[in-house]
Amino acid sequence: MTDITPENYVAEARKGIKDQVLQKALADLQLRFGLGTAIAYQSLPEGPDLRLKAHEIRMNAIENLDVILQKLSDTIQQNGGHVFFAKDGQAAIDYCLAIARKHNVKTVVKGKSMVTEEIGLNRALMSAGIDVAETDLGEFIVQLAGEHPSHIIAPAVHKTRNEIGKLFSEKLDIPFITDPPQLTQAARKALRAKFLAADMGTSGCNLACAETGHIATVSNEGNIRMSTTLPKVHVAFMGMERVAARLDDIEILIRLLCRAAAAQKMATYVSYIGGPRYSDQVDGPDEFHLVILDNGRSRILADKEFREMLYCIRCAACLNVCPVYGKIGGHSYGFAYSGPVGAVVTPLLVGINRAKDLCLGETLCGACQDACPVNIDIPRMLLALRAKLAEGDPAWNVRPANKTEAAVYRTWSWIIRNRTAYDFILRLGAIGQKILPQKDGMIHWLPPPMNGWTGSRDIRPLAAQSFIKRWRKGI
Amino acid sequence: MEKSGQIEFLNNIRTALGHPPDLQRDMDLFHYGITDQERAILEKIQQRTGEERQQLLGQLIEMAMPINLNVIPLPDTASATTAIVDLVRQKKPEWGDKKRVVTWRHPLIDRLNLGQALAESGVPVSVAELDDGAFQQSSLNDQRADLRAQIVGAYIGVTSADFCMADTATLVLRARSGQARSVSLVPSIHVAVIKLEQIVADLKELFAILKWDPEAQKEGLTNCMTFISGPSKTADIEATMVHGAHGPKEVYIYVV
Repeated sequence: MTDITPENYVAEARKGIKDQVLQKALADLQLRFGLGTAIAYQSLPEGPDLRLKAHEIRMNAIENLDVILQKLSDTIQQNGGHVFFAKDGQAAIDYCLAIARKHNVKTVVKGKSMVTEEIGLNRALMSAGIDVAETDLGEFIVQLAGEHPSHIIAPAVHKTRNEIGKLFSEKLDIPFITDPPQLTQAARKALRAKFLAADMGTSGCNLACAETGHIATVSNEGNIRMSTTLPKVHVAFMGMERVAARLDDIEILIRLLCRAAAAQKMATYVSYIGGPRYSDQVDGPDEFHLVILDNGRSRILADKEFREMLYCIRCAACLNVCPVYGKIGGHSYGFAYSGPVGAVVTPLLVGINRAKDLCLGETLCGACQDACPVNIDIPRMLLALRAKLAEGDPAWNVRPANKTEAAVYRTWSWIIRNRTAYDFILRLGAIGQKILPQKDGMIHWLPPPMNGWTGSRDIRPLAAQSFIKRWRKGI
Repeated sequence: MEKSGQIEFLNNIRTALGHPPDLQRDMDLFHYGITDQERAILEKIQQRTGEERQQLLGQLIEMAMPINLNVIPLPDTASATTAIVDLVRQKKPEWGDKKRVVTWRHPLIDRLNLGQALAESGVPVSVAELDDGAFQQSSLNDQRADLRAQIVGAYIGVTSADFCMADTATLVLRARSGQARSVSLVPSIHVAVIKLEQIVADLKELFAILKWDPEAQKEGLTNCMTFISGPSKTADIEATMVHGAHGPKEVYIYVV
């Protein structure tokens, strides 16, 4: 995703809520995966508390990230692979383009990867005159339509079979069909040709294993295996946090990842890739490159309040239970990461003020933490972001987001520490509220600057007498 | 490449974490021995009785059902050959109309004598293996291109596997010479023939073997270890489950 638009959150959310197709798709998705994942955790032999163990594993990895990445780099290179540490998206893109030029690459097949969405790899490759094909069916549909994915693992959840049928008939030059198996077959055929012709394959990395020097990729379709097996060069991209020290850590994390992402015990394909083809092997890439990306992550790492966000393994389980995501959909979040994870990560990556609505929009209900395979305390970090927006924080270049709100709270804080003023204001309020429009015993409009509160909900009127007064009278 | 970039990158992380630059912290992270639990797992696998193996097979069949993976126990390799010949007769190719089968070079698969068994029906069987003598780059490239065309042209790929996990109905394949990855991926139907002893209980057993069994340790994970749990699938169009997104549409495991 190269268009970063978290500023449009409110407008996009409004659009999403009115979109009947999206509403049904999101409700179905949440029912299926949200519930499915909860059941899948229950059926773990170790019980759902395995999530706490996984939290510990992720914490250990992040606390020792420098040592673990050093080990990963060493083991990958021992296996004959190349490792590139990219401080930002541009460095990662430049490295990939240099490899593409070296091998005279004309076409690239892409396995699904959020981190390449984050840095806008597609657009960069296409500007260099390289044909890029997304190969995950959902991503393929979204790419054909010229849109962005709206869910981490179900990118085309917002599209109907009719829309897809129309799209395929236009872009793939086939008759109009709407049957999902037939549509899938059409995409299978079109992409098979791409896989066989491609000079380069790219992929993400669900988790890397430092001690053995492998990246683990997970998919149900087989597109990632195709992209990493058939072309002569494989370039994998990973956020620097997506690494585990040991194989036994991977064992626990992969089991939780499959349950969290799609309520599966095991995804159809899990590949551990560690280096290029050996000389006596028939297939596999001749070159293997791993790009390890910072792109703002070390800044998150340096802040103990947000370091926990780097435990995230991008499974999308939090999207599948979030009441806000379930209504507004993924496009509202305006960046590669949507839902609760996006509400924390996006402000930290693109600017807290710029993406302020994302963390203000969540409900703090805690469903995301319960669904998280590594038990990340997302609500705590949403609150921390809101605190920064309220008070400002030079360390993150945050300006107080709402001056009126800040002034109201400053005044309020003075009032409640001053008995006379407090009693006076309450009396004034009790009298003043009589002229406000009421319905069913609730006030449903307040004058500015308080109208933000009543814009979407009613407020209870002040009691005729304060509690203190009633107490003095013996209630 | 870019050694200095790596040093700066990692120093940056170290600073962010607040660790002193010269501290050695990798000792217990990567230097450790086998745990009692892992030793117990290895012993359990070694001492597994025939009856326990049958139980694992039962579990494998049960777990395979919901993911549309066909697990078929057979008495011997001869019956596996018959089963594959039957499959070739029943199934039509997905692309084009020519039937072709591609297989691994593997002791168990060699014993099936598929080339001979399918010669009668005129279905060619190729083995995806490089010649020993093909050291020259040009002939190697030709051979690889040729083998690739054979794999792409085949509609059934026959492999064995290193292990099979009963708990999740998962085949575990490590890439080797003569055991190409694409044989289990590109053809429309994937057939794996394995021995009963290759079935392990779960991921814990598998990783205990990979880490501590001397035989498995030698090879490690290889440059590509793949788990396959059933046929390729997608639910990206209106959440409707469809098999055969990119990988095989059908997967058969014959256990002999």
